[in-house]
Amino acid sequence: MKASTRRNLGLAVIPLLIATMFLQAAIDPSVREINKGQKTAFQGLSGEFVLGPLLGLQQAVAGLLWVRADEFFHSGDYDAILPIVRMVTWLDPHQLDVYITGAWHLAYNFTDSSERSDRRYIPASQRLLEEGDANNPEIYDIAFELGWQNSDKIKDFARAEYWYRKASGRHGADERGQAKAPVPMFVWHQLAHSLARLGRLEESVDVWKKALSMSEDFVKKNPTDFSRRNVRDSEVHNLELTQKRIFSRYKHELDWEVDAKVGKGVNRETGEPLSRDTYVFVTGSEVSQKAAAYAKAGLSAPAMAVGLPRPPAIEPMWNTAFDVRPVFTAPKVLEVKGRFNVGDGARVTVRLHDDTYRNAQLKEFSFDINQDQTLMLDQHSVRAGTFGRKVDMSKDPKMYSFKGDTYYLVFEFNPRATSPFIHDRFGWSGEGMTDPKYLWTDSSLQPDVRWVRKVYRITRDQVFGASIPESAVVSNEEYARMMAEPMTTK
Amino acid sequence: MVTLAIAKQTLEDMLRRKILLVLLIIAVGMIALGPSVGFLSPRESSAVLRSLGLAVILLAGLLITILSGIQVIPTEIERRTIYTVLSKPVQRYEFVLGKFLGGIFTVFVMIAAMGVVFLSVLAWQEKRFDPEMLKGVVLTFFQMTLLGALAIFFSTFATPVVNFFLSFGLFIVGNLSSVTDSLISNKNPATRIMANAVHYIIPNFGNFNLQNKLIHPSVEISNANVFIVQNIVYAVIYSAVLLLLAILVFDKREV
Amino acid sequence: MAAAVSIQGLTKKYLDVWNKAEITAVDNLNLEVNEGEIFGFLGRNGAGKTTTIKMLLGLIFPTSGSATVLGKPVGDTDAKAQISYLPEEAYFYESMTGWDCMDFYGRLFRIPEPQRSKRIQKALEDVFLDPKAWRRPLRGYSKGMRQRIGIAQALINDPKLLFLDEPTSGLDPIAHRELRDIIVNVGKQGKTVFLSSHQLPDVELVCSRVAIIHQGKLLASGTIQDLTTGDTVEISADRVSESLAGRIRGVVPAAELVGQRLHISAADPSKVNDVVDLIRGGGATLLSVKPHKRMLEDVFVDVVMNEGGA
Repeated sequence: MKASTRRNLGLAVIPLLIATMFLQAAIDPSVREINKGQKTAFQGLSGEFVLGPLLGLQQAVAGLLWVRADEFFHSGDYDAILPIVRMVTWLDPHQLDVYITGAWHLAYNFTDSSERSDRRYIPASQRLLEEGDANNPEIYDIAFELGWQNSDKIKDFARAEYWYRKASGRHGADERGQAKAPVPMFVWHQLAHSLARLGRLEESVDVWKKALSMSEDFVKKNPTDFSRRNVRDSEVHNLELTQKRIFSRYKHELDWEVDAKVGKGVNRETGEPLSRDTYVFVTGSEVSQKAAAYAKAGLSAPAMAVGLPRPPAIEPMWNTAFDVRPVFTAPKVLEVKGRFNVGDGARVTVRLHDDTYRNAQLKEFSFDINQDQTLMLDQHSVRAGTFGRKVDMSKDPKMYSFKGDTYYLVFEFNPRATSPFIHDRFGWSGEGMTDPKYLWTDSSLQPDVRWVRKVYRITRDQVFGASIPESAVVSNEEYARMMAEPMTTK
Repeated sequence: MVTLAIAKQTLEDMLRRKILLVLLIIAVGMIALGPSVGFLSPRESSAVLRSLGLAVILLAGLLITILSGIQVIPTEIERRTIYTVLSKPVQRYEFVLGKFLGGIFTVFVMIAAMGVVFLSVLAWQEKRFDPEMLKGVVLTFFQMTLLGALAIFFSTFATPVVNFFLSFGLFIVGNLSSVTDSLISNKNPATRIMANAVHYIIPNFGNFNLQNKLIHPSVEISNANVFIVQNIVYAVIYSAVLLLLAILVFDKREV
Repeated sequence: MAAAVSIQGLTKKYLDVWNKAEITAVDNLNLEVNEGEIFGFLGRNGAGKTTTIKMLLGLIFPTSGSATVLGKPVGDTDAKAQISYLPEEAYFYESMTGWDCMDFYGRLFRIPEPQRSKRIQKALEDVFLDPKAWRRPLRGYSKGMRQRIGIAQALINDPKLLFLDEPTSGLDPIAHRELRDIIVNVGKQGKTVFLSSHQLPDVELVCSRVAIIHQGKLLASGTIQDLTTGDTVEISADRVSESLAGRIRGVVPAAELVGQRLHISAADPSKVNDVVDLIRGGGATLLSVKPHKRMLEDVFVDVVMNEGGA
């Protein structure tokens, strides 16, 4: 090759290299979009799984790891799964089922020998889901799981409603890889249920109506989809049930009688039927406001059904006559005997925890929990006005280490977390019940909720068998004050 | 014509190598067995099949590319067949291009074979053909084209063993594009310079990893088709640079 | 007669691994090979034969000096189209069949079809390769068959100039002889052959002119006839007296006398008559006068030994 040819070829390299640099700059934003949320190999991976990620095989390694985790599930080797969950979600932050399974595993599968969950893992479980949700902000699955965990496990229906509502605004990624599938109907159903559990029955009705109209549209377009017809029918049923619940809970206030048929309202005075779109449930004080607003806008006001949430007409208020006596019959074996004069099926929460325990909010997800912390939570069903059973914590020293000196032993009933039929009886916030000794309302957080709660402050000796005198009872105010303080560590 | 004759001879020679055939059989077998991970939930088993298939194609493609890229020229020298070629009216650049094309044809045949099996298995499992996955296979091929050009360039002056580590090492470094991209905004100026150098000068193999999007259709990029074209152009231009350098080095090489 | 190869001051120096010591593989070589001759390029292993050929083909580059091949500078594509080369211990693409291999090389010479197939056939026939083997992969070929393919690929472009580097090494006697015949045949077609070898009997039989290279330097060159002239005659006589021996030594100083027996191992042929006259005139008995023809081997050994490279 001639020297001049060689020089020209050498010079040609320079503009070409510069072109690649500009191309690289143009490509970078797309690569960032693709790899969003994905951790790199430098951020905590080790050993056999490093090479794969280095070669750009994150997803494959994550997939294979997850296949392996599945084996551990089947063999019951739960401890082996958590690190895999962590690795998989780092390698491939879009494997939704890994977050969900991992979080489920954390919240449900760590139990003592009596199948009581280790609730110390719940903040971690929640945090894992939140991380997954942040990495997959378009997809409903993890938000739905957060809703489910908050309602099913934590009984925090406000948070459940928050997450279900988020989930309902998302879309699904179905198994055929089709993007932007609509969320399944059960998301809407759970949102409606959570609203009902929050006492927001009118909003719940709205959600059922919305779900129903979606299903009817769908069935119209796909008349042979019989499973969706079943879904539609269940929506009809639930809508009716919720409307009936409004009616039965607040019927002494209702101006309108709701036809059992969907969406049919009848004006009692005129006997005129109403379409379901023409009436709304409002509180009594809003009637005149809304009517005025409609008038101002030049519109005729729709029919308004007044459903004022107020205590049902139980006169006099029902005395629950709550009391409980805890005895440690052997070291770490608690025997609970209590009475509670509400319907069968109500549940009393029994909670025993260190005085340093607070509801932790984790900033970063981690599997490392404070192993020295003790937190026992049990639910005791009421039967024939009594509740209680033996809670044996002696067999699970890992879960119940009792390393601290002072503990709180709490027995409580939250009217909002109870079953609908109890709500029907005593009102959603316990408006129809009272207790001479242990009624408790939290003026700062939820002023209208009427809790029943008895709290003991006990010592380590008492956990190990010393008798617990009634003088160990502390006031609800004191306990609430204590729990509001920031967490202290020993 | 001479270049193509050399490419054809190289392709035929490579395709007769048992090691490549064994690699192909293993890879195809692994892809075909993909659906047997069906004990996972349908969504995950589909994701695992997709990721497994793409990974197998990438890994097998990587081995095939490196094995052929580091060998095609040194084998000629070692067996002295190069004397019979270069003593004929063959320009050295024709030889380098022919060898490169032959290696890339080999990689193409292998990836195409694996790709057909993969897309068929996937279409069978998902009951529909997903043209998106074809993009992944195509991008892998161009990623391998760039790697092949890199290996050919090194093979003009390095021994195969040295070349293996050089090519493989640069492939790994080039795959860290998301790391280098994030390090570019680092506070430490030395780190910044290093990151910029690695990111913009070393062939950026990480660009081609579309797997995340292909496995999870919910991952959206604003202009997917432009991205693919950009990557192909990037691979072609950068390969051209490497081949130019390879030609310049090989022109002065004593054989 | 035009020069097929012309070499002026060609030098190739290698540096060792650490770039310190220099090894001179070819040292200021000057050589002319005429068109149409079979030229023998002789030297021991490592003498610089292959290095020289590689420089002539543009495979490696000279440190200094220059050369033309078929009147064109080294590496010229037009010239290369009329050259062919059989490397030492040539190795071909094992998985190819003989025919495919030839077809590949034919393509490298840019020979179009159908001419290419005809050339392949002719070349394979010229080297007497069994047609049954044409479509079999080379890996099943014997060494002799491979070497035939090697020659055939060197013939496919109907070259003006062939470089054959040790073409007969490692062949059994019959294959060896057949190959030698092929080379002679090629020479008869008017092609120039540059034959590098250390198989002196071959060269002597085949070549018209030779050059001897040793440690990179050209020691001798010329026609075989030129190099092997200077034959000697061995003379022995009996009953030679001391005084007669003295007189004979006046003609041939190397005469040895043991007892009464005189022995002259290498006398210049021009002195033979004088010595014989002296013997017969001095009453001694002439036992034998044996002419000694110098073989190329003797020339080679002499030349190389004189250079001090044992």
